[in-house]
Amino acid sequence: MNQTDRPIANPIVVLREEFDDWAVLFNPDTADAVGTNPVGVAVWKRMDGKRSLDDIVSEIKKSFEDTPDSALKEIAAFVNTLAENGFAGLELERKIADA
Amino acid sequence: MRAPRSLTLEITARCNLRCRYCYFFSNPAVEYRDLPTDEWLQFFDELGSLGVMKVTLAGGEPFIREDLSVLLAGIVRNRMRFSFLSNGVLIDDEIAAFIAGTGRCEYIQVSVDGSCAEVHDACRGQGSFEGAIRGIRTLQRHRIGVGVRVTINRKNVHDLENIAHFLLDEMGLSDFGTNSAGYMGTCCINADDVMLNIEERKEAMATLLRLTVKYAGRISSEAGPLTDVRMWRRMEEARAEGKPAFHNGGRLTGCGCTGNKIAVRTDGAIVPCNMLAHVELGRINHDSLAEIWLNSTVLNQLRNRHTIPLAGFEFCAGCSYIPYCTGNCPGLAYTITGQIDHPSPDACLRRFLEEGGTIA
Repeated sequence: MNQTDRPIANPIVVLREEFDDWAVLFNPDTADAVGTNPVGVAVWKRMDGKRSLDDIVSEIKKSFEDTPDSALKEIAAFVNTLAENGFAGLELERKIADA
Repeated sequence: MRAPRSLTLEITARCNLRCRYCYFFSNPAVEYRDLPTDEWLQFFDELGSLGVMKVTLAGGEPFIREDLSVLLAGIVRNRMRFSFLSNGVLIDDEIAAFIAGTGRCEYIQVSVDGSCAEVHDACRGQGSFEGAIRGIRTLQRHRIGVGVRVTINRKNVHDLENIAHFLLDEMGLSDFGTNSAGYMGTCCINADDVMLNIEERKEAMATLLRLTVKYAGRISSEAGPLTDVRMWRRMEEARAEGKPAFHNGGRLTGCGCTGNKIAVRTDGAIVPCNMLAHVELGRINHDSLAEIWLNSTVLNQLRNRHTIPLAGFEFCAGCSYIPYCTGNCPGLAYTITGQIDHPSPDACLRRFLEEGGTIA
């Protein structure tokens, strides 16, 4: 099975939305928590295993004004950080095929 | 924040012990009854939908509930972590294995008030020491985090050195916490027998300071003699040197609990804190927790308590410690003075010194 470029949020992770669209991502299995800004929240909500990183970036550019050209790189780094810390993974080919 | 990060839930009004300084029992404001399983499970679903991260299960004795594993499964299902406040006696291998299996337990706090049965049982009842130590050993076997809390009182104040040796050297615990019997609940009835007098407070402070040197980093406190003496020494130093006011000094800033947590009484009443059990904000499964959290007038008044200057209280008139004082716990302020918006006399340095206390 190969990994796709479609990030998927760990379903056990809790998105705790605070005021002004800032949020905390909390993994109850590890007690790890990470704060994120409104763009991060928007990315998280799109990490459904169906959208690719490019799809997510494209949607983010439509949702937020003045999205910089470096958005893809920054969002990719954000997703990688989430993946490294068990908050997210990359969807597998077989699961896509089965779907 | 839109919802509390954590809650303390008194899941039962029953207890296998009757400790002489229990804050929970003998409170006329509380209806001592247990909610059925379904009521808690429904509430856990609400907590899950709000993104609550952690619940602390208390009582009464939480391990007395026959449906405890069902409740824990509800907590886990709603993606929360949990901890316990317990006397340890009812913890057995079966429930410990279940708890360990969830992977969600932060710690279980067990009360140990003596280095031996004679001291511990003096306030907690015959057989309770043996049961508490057995419970701790059971938790350790299952690799569940144990936090021991020593409640300092008249019966154990002379045993603190032995307690530290027993817990840290003999039992091999990494650390333990301390507080003291406070004027709440059953303690109000037995105050003369269990609460420290001035001389005993002095002794407790001196002993604890000595022990924190001997066992560096292994004895902690959030209230009680160790917290008092550390805070009071800072205040006295600041006053003597004419330092500027502390950033949180001079106002009722002593409690920040209402900023990120809330509590539920055993009868389902939502209250700001277990120490303010008479302040009913609503009922679980009848009132929206999010609505209470955001819009309760009473809760918001408590949050604004930090704006009330100590200089306005007759109790504080002429006190040179005002710029460095926070007024401390509103729960104790209420039980001692009948007012929440009042500094707690129990934490008053000036009064302590006037009554013969020393902090040198």
